[in-house]
Amino acid sequence: MVVLISIILLAPLTAFAVYALLGLANKGNPRQDVLSTFAMLAAFICSILLFWQIDPKPVPLTIDWISLGSITFSMGFYLDSVTVIMLIVVTLVSSLVHIFSMGYMHGDPRYPRFFAFLSLFSFSMLFLVVSDNLLGIYIGWELVGLCSYLLIGFWFEKDSAANACKKAFLTTRVGDVGMFVGMMMLFTKFKTLSLYDGANAGIFTLVEGLSGTGDMLWLSVAGILIFCGAVGKSAQVPLHTWLPDAMEGPTPVSALIHAATMVAAGVYLTARMFPILTTSSSLVIAYVGGITAIVAATIAIVRFDIKRVLAYSTVSQLGFMMLAIGAGSYVAGLFHLTTHAFFKALLFLGSGSVIHAFHAMHTHHDEEHTDDANHEHDDHSLVHEHGSEIPPDQDMRNMGGLRRKMPFTFITMLIATLSISGVPFIFSGFWSKDKILGGVLERAMEWNSIHHYILFVIALIAAGITAFYMFRLIFMTFFGEPKNQEMHEMAHESPWVMTVPLLVLAFLSFPVVNHLWFNKDFVKPPMQHHIHAPEHAQVLPDSKTHNTEFSLAFLGVSEANAAEGEENGHDSAHGADGHHGHSPAHTIAMILSIIVAGFGILLSWLFYHKRRLSAEAVSTTFRPVYNLFWNKYYFDEFYDGVLVALTVWKSRLYAQFDGSVVDGIVNGVGTVTRDVFAAFTGFFDNSVVDGIVNRIAEVTWTIGGRIRRIQTGAIQTYLFVVIGGIVLIILIFRVL
Amino acid sequence: MLLSLMIFVPLLGMVVVLLLPRESEELIKRVTLLFTFIPLILAVYLFITYDRSTAASQYIANITWIEKFNINYHVGIDGLSVTLMLLTALLGPICVIASWRNIEKGIKAYMALFLMLETGMLGFFAAMDLFLFYVFFELTLLPMYFLIGVWGGPRREYAAIKFFLYTLFGSVLMLVAMIAVYLASGDPGARTFDIPTLIALASTEGHALNSLNFQIWVFLGFFIGFAVKVPIFPFHTWLPDAHVEAPTAISVILAGVLLKMGTYGLVRINMAMFPLGLDRFTNGSDFWGYSLALLGFINIVYGSFCALAQTDFKKLVAYSSIGHMGFVILGLAARNDTGVSGAILQMFNHGVISAMLFLLVGVLYDRAHHREINRFGGIGSKMPIYTGITTLAFMASLGLPGLSGFVGEALSLLGAFAKYKTLTILSTIGIVVGAAYFLWTLQRVFLGKLNPDYEDIPEINKREILTLVPLGILTILLGVFPHIIIDMFSVSVTELTNSLTEAIGTFQANL
Repeated sequence: MVVLISIILLAPLTAFAVYALLGLANKGNPRQDVLSTFAMLAAFICSILLFWQIDPKPVPLTIDWISLGSITFSMGFYLDSVTVIMLIVVTLVSSLVHIFSMGYMHGDPRYPRFFAFLSLFSFSMLFLVVSDNLLGIYIGWELVGLCSYLLIGFWFEKDSAANACKKAFLTTRVGDVGMFVGMMMLFTKFKTLSLYDGANAGIFTLVEGLSGTGDMLWLSVAGILIFCGAVGKSAQVPLHTWLPDAMEGPTPVSALIHAATMVAAGVYLTARMFPILTTSSSLVIAYVGGITAIVAATIAIVRFDIKRVLAYSTVSQLGFMMLAIGAGSYVAGLFHLTTHAFFKALLFLGSGSVIHAFHAMHTHHDEEHTDDANHEHDDHSLVHEHGSEIPPDQDMRNMGGLRRKMPFTFITMLIATLSISGVPFIFSGFWSKDKILGGVLERAMEWNSIHHYILFVIALIAAGITAFYMFRLIFMTFFGEPKNQEMHEMAHESPWVMTVPLLVLAFLSFPVVNHLWFNKDFVKPPMQHHIHAPEHAQVLPDSKTHNTEFSLAFLGVSEANAAEGEENGHDSAHGADGHHGHSPAHTIAMILSIIVAGFGILLSWLFYHKRRLSAEAVSTTFRPVYNLFWNKYYFDEFYDGVLVALTVWKSRLYAQFDGSVVDGIVNGVGTVTRDVFAAFTGFFDNSVVDGIVNRIAEVTWTIGGRIRRIQTGAIQTYLFVVIGGIVLIILIFRVL
Repeated sequence: MLLSLMIFVPLLGMVVVLLLPRESEELIKRVTLLFTFIPLILAVYLFITYDRSTAASQYIANITWIEKFNINYHVGIDGLSVTLMLLTALLGPICVIASWRNIEKGIKAYMALFLMLETGMLGFFAAMDLFLFYVFFELTLLPMYFLIGVWGGPRREYAAIKFFLYTLFGSVLMLVAMIAVYLASGDPGARTFDIPTLIALASTEGHALNSLNFQIWVFLGFFIGFAVKVPIFPFHTWLPDAHVEAPTAISVILAGVLLKMGTYGLVRINMAMFPLGLDRFTNGSDFWGYSLALLGFINIVYGSFCALAQTDFKKLVAYSSIGHMGFVILGLAARNDTGVSGAILQMFNHGVISAMLFLLVGVLYDRAHHREINRFGGIGSKMPIYTGITTLAFMASLGLPGLSGFVGEALSLLGAFAKYKTLTILSTIGIVVGAAYFLWTLQRVFLGKLNPDYEDIPEINKREILTLVPLGILTILLGVFPHIIIDMFSVSVTELTNSLTEAIGTFQANL
């Protein structure tokens, strides 16, 4: 097991190290692609082997990292079912993205570097996943951020990419600082950052000892602050604005980092921290998730850049996952994380395939940005440019009718779309989303909580919108007549290195694999000792025993849920993931979700395929709403116009204060002192007056090697001051 | 003996260099390199043989120097000293290599002064006698003054004199406090400058040194002396000027070692010798009880914001140093194991990282002959190796976990948070602003369209890489295995914090 985990971590790290060392020696590595891909495949195979080996019990492996007196920071790995699932998802998607990139990035001048960065990213992500303590998670957390920065800015000659990578790093760092403060709070209380028990008790054990309202408030604040990190990394409102801009990176990066893995790390973190979440911090998480789900979905329906639609869709889906965890549906959140990882990676790679088709010359950068060339350099500012022109090869208005030209891409993307839209029964996305909706509704019914009813309605609407904008994308891209004949002529199906990963991911968008692990209580939610039903809640003890759900035994879902239901039945008041298909909540949620998905698809079909309804007419009628969506709720305007501008203004103010006031006083004191000395010793020549301290220099020191004179001057001053000091001492001693 | 050898080998080197003919420049450089290499080898030997399990001083030499005033040549090292001596010895040869081609005139005098400076720095960190400590402190001042004043940029005289007078102002106050301590240490004839003895006396009940009022005043005297050196706001304005004018290698020493002399003094004298004075400024009970932490916070936030506004690359790095030294102050103000260890680690790591940053600025300046950030652009496509190393150094400096800068910063904050919640939370603003100015610089210099002026800018050369690689390796190594350095001083720190708590506790119990 130690060997396997070492290989998983070291293989991609080695691939990166080889590149870095060869790079330092000024020798490129032309076969970095092969090296990185094999490293990733090795990690994938080891993850699969771990999956078969994993004990039902977690296996901690820990070393002391830093020892300071009584305090020890340990570093270690923690493997349980969730970790292994994450390992498989990350290594699998990463391997496929590596293979896809061999086609997509072919011919790029920095082709080897791309793979090296992918390797570094994979290592960091895997390290984050297996760490058993907050410090380790934080390290991995920031390293994936670095890789994200490097890869978004991969084509750094583009100003838009250079802006986007900086924005991504800084925005997530705001969240990370919150997370760090949360860590400091936990550390101050518990004197450890280990989550699980090792030589000493970990946070999850120690936290059980907390009670009383003061502690609960404190724990809620700590939980919310840790969640801030997840808000940044998983692009939740209000720190979501970096993710759509991150689409400036190469599309395989968008698939791997900004859809399947890194952005899901926030969800993973929140799930890991499940045992410390209190009722109030859970509710905050649920609301942030719910609001993110609907805000991003509404923005997605008016975008024309194929990648931006997918980016907002990702933001929205991450919101769903957060909502699930906030509502206590731990398993549902993680389940959606894995299904989403596959179908969203597929959608991005599919869009990459389309972009690639439109872009046969492999000049991914430069050309369409020639108008940027006259951009003045001084113009770089902390203020980002946005609403910039959509590159023509990503503009859905230039597409249409591609389904015949690109059959593989079309079919696979259609499968992913059906999955994300929640088309019932045979697609994985349906099951995971339904689990979320059911979980929220169940919590609402169980606690009779108005908050959770509101959240359920929000999530349901967001689910309907999801189906709408995803089919809008499919109709605009693959159906209808080609809009741009010239580009359409050029389009072609992508080579096999690109289509094979699409097919694999399409296969994974069916429930087969995902249900293998979210089944038979392979994943079990940890206890939440600090979740208490609100006072007014009426906990219905028999809410578990209903037996009215669809019998879908062929997928093995109902048995799993039944088993889970019995497991948790006695614990329902603590609310540790009390979701199961048996309750009426799940039945209701399932029926409603099928209705809204169907409605969304129908509307999309009427608007964008049959053209019975006109999007333009609707947008004119509801102009203010449309403007709000089109302008992304003005988040960017607020940040750039207010926050960034204020920061820059403040920094200039500080610098000016430093130069004129602080330094002015120093120089002023210098002048006065010199004049006093001059009067005293007569040593200084008063005839030259120019500058302040400069004058001392001119008098005492001429550059032509007359060092002796300056020495004399300095030492005289020196002696004078020393004597003055001694006089002062005597005075002080008299006073004392 | 070993310690004395290490301290005075550079001084011997200076004599040798002075005896060499002015014209044989290559020889002078090689001799200097040799004489800076010997301390490095000795430092590595110390690093290996230093007994990490005890806080007691090691490699002690104690010889009577000026009998009349009971002044001894007393040197010895504990965990803190050995860490900083290692840093000094490491930066020595790197600076000599970095000066290989850039110093055009008077190489002989330059190298001689540099060697003298190294002796001053090494001696300062090893001194166990207050008078000796002061002598070494002043010994660094003169060579630094000439190195900036003669080999500096256009405004070198202004910068050098400002540096000199400012430090002198601080050290005079220090001298006053030192003499006060000496006079209070006992009856005539029994007075002493011996640091361990003074530390013991200052915690002895009923002794003149164990008076709150007295300790507050001498604490302030030493504090201002060291504060100028660190530099702590508002005594910092000499630093940007000195850095901008100093030649690359001297900036490296200035940021890498000289600033640490200030914080080292704070630990060695202010914290260890005057626990009651320290308590007055760090007890967290009233305004004065917050003052040290407040200064740390101001340094962090003020330094970071000032850095954000700079357009001169070197000035930006200089202000970033002010910000980073703020974390040291904040960690020390916490006066617990975590905070003080974090602060000391931050001293070492900042030494390494800021050395890298100044070397990198030098590389660019040597090619472009200016440092205006806004006049670059797109260099990344022409100098990929240089860009890679700069990214590493920037990331380390902005505290990216996995690199060394993070650990010290994080431990300082963790330690401080236990004592000063609000100030520590506010200080985290510095982390965000720190990322902002480095990334913005990275963008303006390296990303975007290539500025056509730099079409032919040559890639970083082998000699420059040679100076940067050891530091880069350390940054990564200490980011992954910080205990390599922490283990050196953790026992000493525990000893220090325990005796602090004890001394303060005893004093308060007797009130």
